[in-house]
Amino acid sequence: MGTLIIVLTYIAYVLIVVVYTIKITAWLKMPPHIRWDLYPVIHEENYRYGGSYYEQPEWWTKPRPRNTWRSLFYSLKDNFYMGEYYKRNRTYWLCLLPWHLGFIFIITFHILCFFAAVAMFGGLDIAANAPHVAGRVFYTILLLTGGFAFVSGTFGSIGMPIIRLADRGLRTYSMPMNYFNYLFFLVVYGSGLLAWLLLDPTLDEYRAYWLGLITLTPPELHPMTVLHIILFDIFLIYLPFTRSTHYITRILAYFFIRWDDEPNLPGSELEKQIVGLLGRKVSWEGKHIPTGRSWAEAAMESGLPETKKDTP
Amino acid sequence: MKKNIHIDDFTRPGGQVTELDPAELDPLPPPYDKIDKPSIRKLTEEQRKRMDASLDGIVAIGLTPPKTPEEEKAFIDKFLAGIKKLFSADDNWTFLQPLVHTLEYCVKCQICSDACPVYISSGRQDIYRPTMRPELFRRIVSKYIKKEHPFLRKIKDSDIDLNWQTLARLGELAYRCTLCRRCAQVCPLGCDNALISREIRKVFSQQMGIAPKELHEKGSVQQLRVGSSTGMTPAALKNILEFAEEEIEEKTGRKIKIPVDKKGADILLIHNAGEFLAWPENLEAFAIILDAAGVDWTLSTEIAGYDSVNYGVWYDDFQFARVVIRQSQAAKSLGVRKISFGECGHAHKAGIVVADRVLTGDLIIPRESSLPMLEEIVMSGRIKLDPGRNNFPVTLHDPCNMVRLMGIVEPQRRILRKICPQFREMTPHGVENYCCGGGSGFAITQSTNFPDWRSAVSGRMKMKQILEAFQDVPGAEVKKYVCAPCSNCKGQFRDMFEYYGVWEKSGILYGGLVELIVNAMADLKKPFIQWEWH
Ligand code: SF4
Ligand code: SF4
Ligand code: SF4
Repeated sequence: MGTLIIVLTYIAYVLIVVVYTIKITAWLKMPPHIRWDLYPVIHEENYRYGGSYYEQPEWWTKPRPRNTWRSLFYSLKDNFYMGEYYKRNRTYWLCLLPWHLGFIFIITFHILCFFAAVAMFGGLDIAANAPHVAGRVFYTILLLTGGFAFVSGTFGSIGMPIIRLADRGLRTYSMPMNYFNYLFFLVVYGSGLLAWLLLDPTLDEYRAYWLGLITLTPPELHPMTVLHIILFDIFLIYLPFTRSTHYITRILAYFFIRWDDEPNLPGSELEKQIVGLLGRKVSWEGKHIPTGRSWAEAAMESGLPETKKDTP
Repeated sequence: MKKNIHIDDFTRPGGQVTELDPAELDPLPPPYDKIDKPSIRKLTEEQRKRMDASLDGIVAIGLTPPKTPEEEKAFIDKFLAGIKKLFSADDNWTFLQPLVHTLEYCVKCQICSDACPVYISSGRQDIYRPTMRPELFRRIVSKYIKKEHPFLRKIKDSDIDLNWQTLARLGELAYRCTLCRRCAQVCPLGCDNALISREIRKVFSQQMGIAPKELHEKGSVQQLRVGSSTGMTPAALKNILEFAEEEIEEKTGRKIKIPVDKKGADILLIHNAGEFLAWPENLEAFAIILDAAGVDWTLSTEIAGYDSVNYGVWYDDFQFARVVIRQSQAAKSLGVRKISFGECGHAHKAGIVVADRVLTGDLIIPRESSLPMLEEIVMSGRIKLDPGRNNFPVTLHDPCNMVRLMGIVEPQRRILRKICPQFREMTPHGVENYCCGGGSGFAITQSTNFPDWRSAVSGRMKMKQILEAFQDVPGAEVKKYVCAPCSNCKGQFRDMFEYYGVWEKSGILYGGLVELIVNAMADLKKPFIQWEWH
């Protein structure tokens, strides 16, 4: 059993990293699109009221101060706070936030366990009464992160389907897969919660498990913890195939779509890219579009019936 | 009245998906809570035979049903081929990334629904949810483009049975969204359901050659052919300008020559040509201000050079690009230093922002809004202004295209705060404003009962906001002014105010920003704004 969870865990982590990387790369590799910004643009100086550099006369002659850190903070913060939901649907938010925090904390917990295992391998004792203060701090952080993840995730996984069923709009747009996910995630968090409360109140077994992982020594664990770990590994494998990438893509969408206000200035790198895109061939069949010609040629034509090619 | 709408309602041949019940619309304050005529006219039997109205009994496109099963199949196949092109980086590099993102990452949380004025005003009709179009679209993609396994479609609830009628309904539904993008603004996932409306319109136009005739045939096609979507030729423009010069002299005593095709001028000013015909006072006011401030400017008589509208931004990337290219060419041939856009929201967004990644090389001519320039003139003291002349209640409508979609929020407000002592904001305003209801071509769409719909439904929220902004002075005896620095919005206000009898009941006039500036000019003998303009 110990060997199984070691192998499974490695597979799960490799898979999640690979699939996420593929998905994010595919997202980023799409060509630059036409500007479609939406205000407020957070890196703008006057973001508070949604102002842009277009508010100044001859904007192209003025500096365009840009605070990328603010944008980054703003978008990351929302992963932990979900402000739009708080503002607009408080009941939904009450379940959605714990549900999401469950994800974030359970993954953080495992990452911390990895570091704990490394520290333990290096000789640090991690426990409530560890001789070194670092060991005691580490212990407390692990306990809080893990405990919070289990409680929050379990609460969210129970609350979400209830909210979805109770609200007309949400119910209409829910799919069977949503309910499957809630159930599956409930089992994952719930098994962790039970193992923690009933068998492993110090979460010691996770440190042993991670130590086993990095030393490739199958650990001796209680079957309940093993069950949770197997479920968690399946959860990791499953995650990239759900919409969970939105933790990252939503930030990309903010930066590369909603807040993308980079002007196309003569001689810029962007201009070169656009020239390339304008050279692509179009295959639209509308009568006003010269099928088979380049985008630029189609745009230079007037598309008027008298100048139009014979369309099939 | 049926409220819970399912996908099957869209795919079912015959019948109507929703019947709008006036009693269910979001209530307006008195006296507008009672209207004495049917709020939306019903189509005649003959119209129904000719045009598909099976979505909600309203017609914007009005497709004619196919005559044979072969015709139906050809229609569907061609449409599906078009959808496929939306996912091609060659055919649709312009919007591929936002499209894919929206389709893949929407979690159907419905946060956007509560932000949508059409959905709310309609009394929360399911079909108008911002998520409804994407839902239909996603299902079509799942089944016919990605060809997902039936089991997957089952657990993702993404099945759909396509027929002609479904597509006709989808096409109409794409024209029940003003593209105001208020929904997109609140989406925590960065999805943009307004874009889906536009992409559906694009497939209809770019692939099928189908679009409301006001947008295509009589809109962008006409603009590229004769120079303006209004059909106004350069010769007619010159006549109108002569008339405007006479009017200016009559109203202000000033003899102003409106510069046309002036080579090497500093600024090419492009107005929405609707102003020339419907609101000449706007272009006159521009001429008075620029003349008084000593600005070196010109108008153009080139194709699209005297009409800033760009309807393509609402339905067709190619028509859009063609117009911006012509506008830049007009500026280039005059050798101006920059292009300035007059009071037109969508022209701002199209010509200044969206155009940005279509123009290259020597067609990249600096383009800006006229509002910051006006602010500079007003604040500089170059013209003497007396706010006392504007001592009546004024509120400001934020054209979405100018404000939410390009961040020009404060210049117009700073002007109004300076020259209108009774200026008050609507709630909400600025980037969170509500669309006038005429966005994305609605204001010019006159098809059958569509104008009723846009007054009764899509403009309803704005109507409510305006009335609320003036609730301290509701009666018609106090003359009030809605400043709408956008031709398209003014078109909508004209129709909507007439529909509700707003002048008679509440004494509210709509107009542009420059009119208020000129009205405040201290050395004019008589007021520039005439309440009879209503
Ligand atoms: S578009 Fe955004 S706000 Fe609307 S349902 Fe989808 S995720 Fe939610
Ligand atoms: S763009 Fe505006 S009208 Fe269209 S769905 Fe979004 S909020 Fe509604
Ligand atoms: S018509 Fe006016 S308010 Fe409506 S979308 Fe256009 S700019 Fe916005």
